[in-house]
Amino acid sequence: MLERTNLSQQDIDAIVWGGVILPSTAPNVGREIALDLGLPASVEGMTVTRACASGLQSITTAVAAIERGDADVIIAGGSDSTSNAEVSLPSKAVHLLAPFAFGKASPSDVMGVLSQLMPLGDILPKMPKIAERTTGEVMGESAEKMAVRNEISRLAQDELALRSHERAAAAIESGRFDDEVVAVETPTGALVSADTIVRADTSIERLGKLKPVFAKDGTLTAGNSSTLTDGAASVLLMEEQKAKALGYTPLAAFKSWSYVGVDPTDQLLIGPALAMPRALERAGLDLADIDLVDMHEAFAAQVLSVLKVLGSESFAQHRLGRDTAVGEIDPARLNVHGGSIAIGHPFGATGARMVTTMANELHRGDKETALLGICAAGGLGAAAVLERV
Amino acid sequence: MSDFLLELGQNHRARALIKGLGLPIPMPQDLARASEGFIARPLEGHEVAFGHGDASPLSEVIAKTLAEAGAHVGVVHDCPSRGIFETQAEAWSRPQWELTLNPDGPKLDSIVFDASALDTTESLRNLYDFFHPLMRRLKKCGRVVILATAPDAKQAPLMRATQAALLGFIKSVAKEVGKKGSTANIIYVEGNASAHLEGPLRFLLSRRSVFVSGQPIVVRAPKGRKLPEWDWSRPLDGKVALVTGAARGIGAATSSLLASAGATVICLDRPADDGLLSKVAREVGGMPLPVDITTPEAPQAIADFVAEHRDGLDIIVHNAGVTRDKTLARMKPEWWDQAVDINLGAVERITSKLLEGTLRDHGRIICLSSVAGIAGNLGQTNYAASKSGILGYVRGLAPVVARRGITVNAIAPGFIETRLTAAIPVVIREAGRRLSNLGQGGQPRDVGDAITFLSTPAAHGITGTTLRVCGGALIGA
Repeated sequence: MLERTNLSQQDIDAIVWGGVILPSTAPNVGREIALDLGLPASVEGMTVTRACASGLQSITTAVAAIERGDADVIIAGGSDSTSNAEVSLPSKAVHLLAPFAFGKASPSDVMGVLSQLMPLGDILPKMPKIAERTTGEVMGESAEKMAVRNEISRLAQDELALRSHERAAAAIESGRFDDEVVAVETPTGALVSADTIVRADTSIERLGKLKPVFAKDGTLTAGNSSTLTDGAASVLLMEEQKAKALGYTPLAAFKSWSYVGVDPTDQLLIGPALAMPRALERAGLDLADIDLVDMHEAFAAQVLSVLKVLGSESFAQHRLGRDTAVGEIDPARLNVHGGSIAIGHPFGATGARMVTTMANELHRGDKETALLGICAAGGLGAAAVLERV
Repeated sequence: MSDFLLELGQNHRARALIKGLGLPIPMPQDLARASEGFIARPLEGHEVAFGHGDASPLSEVIAKTLAEAGAHVGVVHDCPSRGIFETQAEAWSRPQWELTLNPDGPKLDSIVFDASALDTTESLRNLYDFFHPLMRRLKKCGRVVILATAPDAKQAPLMRATQAALLGFIKSVAKEVGKKGSTANIIYVEGNASAHLEGPLRFLLSRRSVFVSGQPIVVRAPKGRKLPEWDWSRPLDGKVALVTGAARGIGAATSSLLASAGATVICLDRPADDGLLSKVAREVGGMPLPVDITTPEAPQAIADFVAEHRDGLDIIVHNAGVTRDKTLARMKPEWWDQAVDINLGAVERITSKLLEGTLRDHGRIICLSSVAGIAGNLGQTNYAASKSGILGYVRGLAPVVARRGITVNAIAPGFIETRLTAAIPVVIREAGRRLSNLGQGGQPRDVGDAITFLSTPAAHGITGTTLRVCGGALIGA
């Protein structure tokens, strides 16, 4: 981004970065980025974490700092690399092996290890599993329950997944993503410039053959759930006047945002259904005023659950305290270039990716406003309203 | 002190053997008690069957209560209230299911019936038609709740008769379902009090009312100002409670429950029990107050203590009590005096003092009575008189303090497994346990749960009444 924008390093005040699975040796990723890039030492950095909404959180944190006058120019974004996630040893194994790793092992330490080898499960590293701490459920299990409670069919989920793939594939094919994707070099030296998980050739039939993964008679499959990928995304933020003074053309501005919490034991991923109306209200807009909606697709079932309750008058009356339903969202203006199901979900990067795509979309087309919605672990919901500048 | 039959009943082989041999030994069901703290949705995932007579004036509030509490409600296909339940089901993403009135359908956690519009002898047939096919579908530790109309002078005698008939029905149902650990209760709602039905309905359907069975609860529209909103998972947030006799048994269990509901608890007991009392207070994060409630200075000392540590008091639980049992002919005068003074005199003196500026508006006063106070008991003329006096006291005090939003109620425990009942000779103790519908004694926390419920804002519509926590005991019923 620095290359593409030709930004003077002296103008950067800070980096605000979002991440979920943070490296334990360098948890403040934001600052590490500044140092790795060789930016001036004065470019301070911080790292925020709000589960899958971390990427949006880093951006709204930066926007708030600029609005407050704390900073003029901030780079904000997020990244995650689940393939590099650290695998932790059970503390029993750490204690047993410590004499070997950190000091001199005595014969009795050796005996100690031998005598406590069984059961092996106690000392072997555990398969990393992203389970909700309060409920013990992995997210797909919670989403599976939401599919049942909101009566979301397998077919509807597969249709949404297919649309996500078709639109992402079309965007890649047409070159729409060229401006917002950076090629990455693999360890073998090859340059990769497109995601390989986008399936241009998938179909309802092929998606329909996949087995449910989170429940025996469930409806959630690998095809209609997002993939945990590695990725990063960032945006450049500054006030409109500042941008113009530096010779930039602003793409979009933040009109409002909202973060909410819901009971994770109820419907873990329904948060956007509360956050999106609240962000709209803060922006002084109705859903009808919104040209584009971008929702993080953790699971097709979760997106469809949120869409369903947003369209419910009863939900609006009893849960939001408003007279009428928030409204139906026309599929034509929802996730116009696909979403996390097709593109993948590197936790901390997703929010920044969505802001990037929507800002570009607003700038390119004749669209004025975009609404973002993200669900996150812990029963969190996030939303933001962007407008064209 | 442990209940041998209850433990035996939990052993599958012993249970099968006794059933197989046809031995006439009762096998009480281990009661499913709430295991966690207070939660927003105590009925999460519960399958609830709902029905009503020709009309259901209470279906709006029932639908809302059940959906918000997490229940999954089924109504019959042509139920006139179906739309009301569908609306709530949609708002809370809990799809409606269709109830069929046959004995073979899916099992039910609870059966709820709105009988408040029944007003003729013939209309009672609705009870039979709805309950008859569903009785075998009720799960173990299930719940039956009927909603009825509270009596008032303007009702026609036939209406009164019909509504009174519901009590006999529910008490009998309670006896029929009791051996499976299930309870059946009835809520009589005054015409304009439906807004206050939510708390009692949640309580009776939850796992915090395991030892309340065959009982009526009367809900009336309260006088006084509207209550501020509260959080179901912490209903006593910011409240200050006083519990007398808090060192052990029901008092200790109540202190712990009030604290887990969010209250700061002042734990009071005799100075002689200081060690135990301090331990309880420490465990519940409360404050110990060693005071002998029989002394003339006690009321002032309590008021001073509250003034020193907090701005005021919200909940008073008069739990301290003694028995001094002897038949009247053999009873010493001091035994009479002690029982009557501690159980009734001190309650009145302390309450009167604390009503002079210590107890805040929307306060709660809960006095421990006893089934003995309702039924009388051999060798307990003194105790029964004092506990019966409590019943009159709450009836008399309730209207006096109603304007301030303060409620006053009595709790009448039946056979509860405490130090008091452990001292009863074994044969009588066994008989005492089996006299309840549930075939067992209650635990101190069962009484504590009922006290805590009456302490919450959600019990605003209940005042001047006595709630029995007796498992539907035969005595005094």
